[in-house]
Amino acid sequence: MRVTLAKSAACLLLCGWFAAVALPLGWVFLNSLRSSQEFVANPFGLPWFLTGSPPDGRLSLEELDAAGARHDAPEIDLPRQLRTQFDLLDADGNGFITEEEARAAGLGEAQWGRSLRLADRPGSRRAAWKEVKANYAKAWVESRFSSFFTNSIIVTGTSLAGILAVGAMASYVLARFTFAGSRALFLFFISGMMIPAQLVLVPLFFQFTWMSQAGTRLLQPFGLELQMHDSLSGLIVIYIALSLPFTILVLTGFFKTLPGELREAGIMDGCGEYRVFWHIMLPLARPGIITAAIFNFIGLWNEYLFALVFVNAADKKTLPLGLASVSMQSQYKTDFGLLFAALVITIAPTLLVYMLLQRRLTRGITVGALKG
Amino acid sequence: MARVELRSLNKVFPGGVEAVKDANLVIEDKEFVVLVGPSGCGKSTTLRMIAGLEEVTSGEIYIDDKMVNDTPPKDRDIAMVFQNYALYPHMTVYKNMAFGLILRKFKKKEIERRVHEAAEILGIMELLDRRPKALSGGQRQRVAVGRAIVRQPKVFLFDEPLSNLDAKLRVQMRAEISKLHHRLQSTMIYVTHDQVEAMTMGDRIVVMLDGVIQQVAAPLELYHNPVNKFVAGFIGSPPMNMVDGLLFAENGGIWFRDDSGAINLAAPEAMWARLNPYVGKRITIGIRPEDMFENESQVLKPGISIQAPVEVVEPMGSEINLYLTVGNQAVTARIKSDREPEVNKPHILDINTANMHFFDIETEKTVV
Repeated sequence: MRVTLAKSAACLLLCGWFAAVALPLGWVFLNSLRSSQEFVANPFGLPWFLTGSPPDGRLSLEELDAAGARHDAPEIDLPRQLRTQFDLLDADGNGFITEEEARAAGLGEAQWGRSLRLADRPGSRRAAWKEVKANYAKAWVESRFSSFFTNSIIVTGTSLAGILAVGAMASYVLARFTFAGSRALFLFFISGMMIPAQLVLVPLFFQFTWMSQAGTRLLQPFGLELQMHDSLSGLIVIYIALSLPFTILVLTGFFKTLPGELREAGIMDGCGEYRVFWHIMLPLARPGIITAAIFNFIGLWNEYLFALVFVNAADKKTLPLGLASVSMQSQYKTDFGLLFAALVITIAPTLLVYMLLQRRLTRGITVGALKG
Repeated sequence: MARVELRSLNKVFPGGVEAVKDANLVIEDKEFVVLVGPSGCGKSTTLRMIAGLEEVTSGEIYIDDKMVNDTPPKDRDIAMVFQNYALYPHMTVYKNMAFGLILRKFKKKEIERRVHEAAEILGIMELLDRRPKALSGGQRQRVAVGRAIVRQPKVFLFDEPLSNLDAKLRVQMRAEISKLHHRLQSTMIYVTHDQVEAMTMGDRIVVMLDGVIQQVAAPLELYHNPVNKFVAGFIGSPPMNMVDGLLFAENGGIWFRDDSGAINLAAPEAMWARLNPYVGKRITIGIRPEDMFENESQVLKPGISIQAPVEVVEPMGSEINLYLTVGNQAVTARIKSDREPEVNKPHILDINTANMHFFDIETEKTVV
């Protein structure tokens, strides 16, 4: 009895948790498939390209007027030929056939009038779908999310590779070997977590200025210059440094749980210390490394503050900065469709990475237990 | 195949613990030598120094007359089987066994041949595609042994390989490792704390205590002629009974009486010469439980019998273990008998005094 009670309580809690996570995500995704007009009409409605028309009474007469609809137009049947031509006529894909479009297509006055009436009917699925595509197209091209996305991939990917490479090697050594200063070195790494990142923002800014100058002076003979500000590599260096303490804490704990006899078995089999690490310890530490990877990925992918301070050029911005600029640009006339599409573009990789790695995470833990 | 020699080997751990003190030992080619002793006696440390997993503090280790103190483990041509198997969890059984050969850049065909041959010997052919987690303890142990076999090393080292198995499996694997030794004809060094394993498997046994080699001898030699009280007590199960008391001359013979006066035994004439210097002094005697016999007529024979109430009776099947208290001394006897003696009734046992051992009470060295 108690068990079932505890179980149902846990189930209820998990359902609540699921709803709290999934509903906002779903809402964002659905709204990225709707136009601003749709969103204003009903923020919680379904996309028109699915439903076909807005729910009755939701659009006011004024709104229809504003959209240029002729609500008084009688329902008419359009000749089949004209119906198939509708998409051809609607050159700018907004779901309405304007006078210019009709004339450009060489339609007569009579036909134009009739086609206009058809096009004016709100909720043409076709029109709504075009709006949706426009959302993403606008975000990707006009708002330069393609560039932000690439930058985010480069910055997060490179940082992650650096963090895991340095973190795993350092953690293994700190977990397995005692040498003069090993304890102090470990504490030095870990102490990085005690300093709030925001605190080092300003000193780091000046340090970067100094480093750029000194580096450039050094590299001048080779015709190179060192640019730490406003560069992706500068950001990557910061990200790696900021993420190492946590990563080393997690991975050191993980490496300590691995049996030391495996190292000795490896040595007897003919491994040197490097082979022991690469062939035996690293594969075994995969669950720990994936955990560290997930945490770091989410943190870095969404990182805003350091990117904001150290990156100014539009072509160097990462996704969080891009999102901010979109919402700032649309300060007076909010393009909700565009905003939500941009959000989905930003969120999707996180979800994808999480789903992919999580499956491998559980597989890593239960490997051998299930196989065979 | 190889001969292993330890010369004045010492190991001092940081912190000053002396794990091995002045160990000298020659292990002949194709010999099966067992290092045995209670935990912390330095047997594992000795093995790990031979393997190259521990640094030598002083002294030398020779394999085939080549000093290997500074040779890294992988170049010593030695394979080791670990107590916890230490199989690589992320590799299949095949890969586990092949790993050492892959690292040594053997040809693929040769690796396959060797792994299959070893798997055949150990009866694990059908397990080659599994991972260690899907194996039982006994199967894992076989894989660990297989990993050592495929390398065809000069010397095999076993570090308490059977202590994680259940009793029945342990007996079975014990016999299999012995068989393996006959089949492979290579030098094997085996560490255990279990004297039964040591007695049943070893060509020679090295008994260690507190980092010092106590005695090196063949199993029966060790059993019959232990050099000191520790070896005498360690080898044999149940352990030898040790009683302190006084040695004195009376009626033209040499007698032993324990402190409570309940045990009075006559020393056999053959021992008199060795015992003479101890007459009038305190001494320790050792009597193996199996050197005590049921007194059929239950009549006390002076100098041979002891009388005491039986406290616990353990029927083992072929034998019966009796736990008695003689005076203030707990004594174990192992008798052959068809009927169980009654508990708490006085019982008379005869002692085969010819097999009695005498130890110097101070040095604990064997007197006779």
